[in-house]
Amino acid sequence: MNKLLVIGLDCAAPSIMFDKLADQLPNISKMREDGVWGKLRSCDPPITVPAWMVMATGRTPGELGLYGFRSREGNSYNKIKIPTSRDVKYDTIWDIIGKRNKRSIVIAVPPSYPPRPITGILVTDFLTPGKDKEFTYPPGLKNDILAKYPDYEFDVKFRKPEKEKIIDEIYKMTETRFRMALDFMRNKPWDLFFFVEIGIDRIHHAFWRYIDEKHHLYENNPLMREKFVNYFKMVDRYVGEMVEQVDEDTLVMIVSDHGAKGMKGAFAINEWLIKEGYLKLKSNSIKPGSSLDEVEVDWENTKAWAWGGYYARVFLNIKGREEKGVIDPQDVRKEIEILKEKLKSIKGPNGETWDTKVFEPEEKYDVVNGDRSDLFVYFDDLNWRAAGTLGYETMYLLENDTGPDDAVHDYDGIYVLYRKGKKVGKIFNETIYNVMPTMLDVFSVRKITGLKGKVMEGMRYVK
Amino acid sequence: MAEDKKYTTVSIPTPLFEKIQKKIEGTGFTSVSDYVTFILREILAHSNDQEAFTEEDEKRVKERLKSLGYLD
Repeated sequence: MNKLLVIGLDCAAPSIMFDKLADQLPNISKMREDGVWGKLRSCDPPITVPAWMVMATGRTPGELGLYGFRSREGNSYNKIKIPTSRDVKYDTIWDIIGKRNKRSIVIAVPPSYPPRPITGILVTDFLTPGKDKEFTYPPGLKNDILAKYPDYEFDVKFRKPEKEKIIDEIYKMTETRFRMALDFMRNKPWDLFFFVEIGIDRIHHAFWRYIDEKHHLYENNPLMREKFVNYFKMVDRYVGEMVEQVDEDTLVMIVSDHGAKGMKGAFAINEWLIKEGYLKLKSNSIKPGSSLDEVEVDWENTKAWAWGGYYARVFLNIKGREEKGVIDPQDVRKEIEILKEKLKSIKGPNGETWDTKVFEPEEKYDVVNGDRSDLFVYFDDLNWRAAGTLGYETMYLLENDTGPDDAVHDYDGIYVLYRKGKKVGKIFNETIYNVMPTMLDVFSVRKITGLKGKVMEGMRYVK
Repeated sequence: MAEDKKYTTVSIPTPLFEKIQKKIEGTGFTSVSDYVTFILREILAHSNDQEAFTEEDEKRVKERLKSLGYLD
């Protein structure tokens, strides 16, 4: 075994892939039957950025200094930075094996824009600004792609009222990326093929309500339900086609960066901070849906503010750190402990108890790089996302504040290890940190110092 | 778009060229130009003297992330 095919399905969830739709996904189900499979516990936070790079480097979000789709810059109140390939300071699997003259084909692993040179070829991810930019290594490859696949898209843009149109766009995007990947697989040399498709994530977020009868926005719409199911069937067909291309010396790994579950609502965290006296605004009349950037914050009297997303990031306004900091450094510990308890005791819209998780980055990672928030909050165990926007009459929003959202992220993604000619059929649950040591093992690279994961249990059986 | 196809020539000493030619045998690099481009890009990428995104690029990506619900 000396080659590796990684098929990354962003957001693929055990409940869908292994349960609800298992009998409609003949290829993936067959690979499970003959291979090793199970849940893949994501990192904290279980978010696309950093999760794919955690997988590709074996490093924690703390080491990478990446905690989501934005990073705060220079302890500022509103200066943010979108992560790029430059922010990944550790070697990826393709960097490491590239030094050993192994060739990689890397497609759409976030964040990989701008493209960095590798031994092999690389196409950047959905954080690429547009097709007019350099999005491949080597640079000339871009022209070949656009000539052959003029419809190639990095991502779709959600527009709420046109749901049916969006799902068709997701189909088209996914199909084009798989066709391109198959073309590369057949016609370009590789030892590692690392491919990520973002479409499942988009389908989950926008269309979960059609397949989850328990969802508060459940719609019994047979057409949309069928489209949802057919999308997964299409993905399964392409996975089957990819696996057809490989021989017995290739390990196939299907992985997802995190899972998904139905969203119960969005909790307006900054509204709550206002109510609790942590956040002060200069005006009381706020247009519903305003972001913190759009209102005047009374920073001299503000102790904390937050960012929304699938989890909330809470920042304290500390003297000497923030420009208009108010909390004395010696009071930070006390303030953090009080705020943690208050956040944990937040109840649901009907007074129900929530299982809210609150932690400081230091509690999760040995190393904490970058400009991180003081607290990470998973409202009701991630069932409620956080809305950072303001101006609502309630703190409990039934829909997402910024985009269409039927689903939230869940801790467990999926993995399948499969090798032609092997009949195993075992189940082991693994963590995302074990992906990198397993990939290194395929290429007989001795474990890199400092990785916290270990080779997956199932490797004993597929080797 | 036409600009993407433009290449230009730089000069390197012949002995160096020959050394590289020998070095890349069997490595998958198809030409000395390929190899030299790879090395130069590698060095430039690590020097970080250019911003990864222009202001306009960042705006485009932020808008998309907003529509996806990742940014408020």
